[in-house]
Amino acid sequence: MYSQVRTLSQESHEYRVQVDWTHDRVGDLLVEEKPTMKVSAPPEFEGPEGIISPEDLFVAAATSCFMTTFVTFSKKMRFDFKSFTCQGMGTLQKLERGFEFTKLLLKTKVVVDSKETKPKAEKALELAGKYCLVSNSMKCPTEHENIVIVG
Amino acid sequence: MATQMISLSDDSREYSVKVVWTGGKSGDVLVSDKPTIRTGSPPEFGGTREFHSPEDLFVASASVCFMDSFVVFTEKMHIRFESFEVETKGLMEKVGRSYEITRLHMKTKVVIESEDLRSKMTRALELGAKYCYVANSMKCPTEHENEIVVR
Repeated sequence: MYSQVRTLSQESHEYRVQVDWTHDRVGDLLVEEKPTMKVSAPPEFEGPEGIISPEDLFVAAATSCFMTTFVTFSKKMRFDFKSFTCQGMGTLQKLERGFEFTKLLLKTKVVVDSKETKPKAEKALELAGKYCLVSNSMKCPTEHENIVIVG
Repeated sequence: MATQMISLSDDSREYSVKVVWTGGKSGDVLVSDKPTIRTGSPPEFGGTREFHSPEDLFVASASVCFMDSFVVFTEKMHIRFESFEVETKGLMEKVGRSYEITRLHMKTKVVIESEDLRSKMTRALELGAKYCYVANSMKCPTEHENEIVVR
């Protein structure tokens, strides 16, 4: 059975997931206490349409980590924001040994309610890019295009 | 809107996801035409337990890619298996001032119909690991522990 995340110490954590094959190139992703997710190869690698692929999960991991890291810095810096959206784009390229992700581009838009907050939000985005543990665990570089709007 | 996968060429593909913050440390991951993934920070980083964390997605992306890659090789080798499951542990550790996923450990169990298939299945698991392009896109090493069982 798959088991929970175990905290080894303050400095290290363990994450566990299980993937059970169901048929063809489709399986179930199981993480304890979380909804089961159907997963498969994408259509361009002969999987069916409409199912989350490993490529989606890879890009989603970096994009969502960037969001949660930004939230952490916004709390540390004590400012509020109205909305946050980030479009993550990953480029998978054929290299000598096979495919690899060679680039991630994160395009982020944050809305804040005053001009005074804008520089803080910009700084928090910069720090989130630097301390995003998921993209720091990937080989490819991550580029950022940030925009902060007062609205 | 989340945009679709754009095929740039046979040698390069682009994957796009969108993350929209929904409050606290949570957000929705949107991939065109696919079910929404609700994500958030894990409890050890001040979030809630019920959503998939970025760390879960990271570990999951390599696990699902390994499954697909294994299935591809079984097809190429014209061999059949009864079931496949992989349990993956990802270790996150403090590296310098930030965290990183430093190791992935995959424990795989494949059930086959007859002993004759064992050596080919071992080979398919080896090749699946070697050509898993998501794991190849990560900085950390991936360890494999494979078990092949005759039904």
